[in-house]
Amino acid sequence: MSTKKITLLSSDREQFIVDEAVAIQSQTIKNLIEDTVPDEDGIPLPVVHSRILAKVTEYLTKHANYKPHNDAAKEELKNWDVKFLGKLDNNTLFDLILAANYLDIKGLLDLTCQAVADLMKGMSVEEVRKLFNIENDFTPEEEEAVRKENQWAFD
Amino acid sequence: MECNINYLPEDLIAHALSLTAPLDACKFAATSSIFRSAAESDTVWERFLPSDYRDVLQRSVSPVLFSSKKELYFQLSDTPILVDGRRKMFSLERSSGKKRFCISARELSITWADNPMYWTWKSMSQSRFEEVVELRMISWLEIHGKINTQLLSPNTTYGAYLIMNISNRAYGLDTEPSEVSVEVSGSDNMKSRGIAYLRRGGAKTSESWKQMWCWHRTEMMESIRRVLNGGDFGEEREVREREDGWMEIELGEFYVDGVVGREVKMSLVESKGVHLKGGLVIEGIEVRPKL
Repeated sequence: MSTKKITLLSSDREQFIVDEAVAIQSQTIKNLIEDTVPDEDGIPLPVVHSRILAKVTEYLTKHANYKPHNDAAKEELKNWDVKFLGKLDNNTLFDLILAANYLDIKGLLDLTCQAVADLMKGMSVEEVRKLFNIENDFTPEEEEAVRKENQWAFD
Repeated sequence: MECNINYLPEDLIAHALSLTAPLDACKFAATSSIFRSAAESDTVWERFLPSDYRDVLQRSVSPVLFSSKKELYFQLSDTPILVDGRRKMFSLERSSGKKRFCISARELSITWADNPMYWTWKSMSQSRFEEVVELRMISWLEIHGKINTQLLSPNTTYGAYLIMNISNRAYGLDTEPSEVSVEVSGSDNMKSRGIAYLRRGGAKTSESWKQMWCWHRTEMMESIRRVLNGGDFGEEREVREREDGWMEIELGEFYVDGVVGREVKMSLVESKGVHLKGGLVIEGIEVRPKL
């Protein structure tokens, strides 16, 4: 096990020092470590704000140090994920999706996208628009057409 | 800074939609234009299609043409395709994307079905299979079908149904109850048993009193026998009318965990009565998720 430390630098130049094993769960960071000469201050992640990077490293630290060997351990990790998601507001959730996508962390991307999916399940179109602050950019005719194409979902 | 889901690129919205369900994805297409294109993307529908759909398409007897994964999904859920040399039909449950198969009579093992004295093979316009088989006359009725769970969707409870018809000149089919069962190999606790009288639903009232009396007598004898045998006959299953003009009877249910492929044996047997019977038409056995 490597105990080498890696310093990550957020877009607002805050430093996050983590074990290498924690950091390289991100394919993007792994590639950056291998392919680039690090900045003196750390590996720059110019699109991830410290507020979000704190969440990302919290997730990565838990998942790196926690290799579930049995069902009980898997269950505990799952519960941890649920609690982790529970503390996020929607905007942070969307920012985390963007960060997980950029940093190429499959587990976190699936987890956060699943959280959005779970929020939407069973909602009406109007409720989803309201929840996520989505502007309806369809003309009435267009919306009518989309609904008609997907008629079975509205029956 | 105001942030909302509209700032997410389309492929990430698609990723989230792919984790909902087919019905949700269709519904949320009406949210906004970016949701619409995300909801129609192949990313989403690839996920809703069974993971081995390419294999199934390769086994189709005629090529399946589609311009998007969403179109393919609906094609497969609206119209079953014939696979494995026309011996099986494959389709998807529209709401869940889970797989269903119908195994043709030719793919079943039916005792003495190759003897034209007892069984007649014929084509029927109500069936998409080339042939169905009609019982002319027999005393030993025994039908077995099998399917490997690897063909089915994981983490799903399936039901197996005999797709059949009872012709107008049918006789002797419901004198004795048929024993139906479904068994999953290599798993002791996965056996489902029951009994079924092969008769049209509600036929009791339209038949003559004499037959009524006979039924009562046989059913009474049956219940006595059940008590004597420790009641291990399972529940009674009723014949149901289907929308496609066929009737079905549930043979039993089983759970597919998807970890290892197991063989499922499905059967209907009526061999206790020594009397002759006829007029049963068999299209096949359908295996579909239980709702």
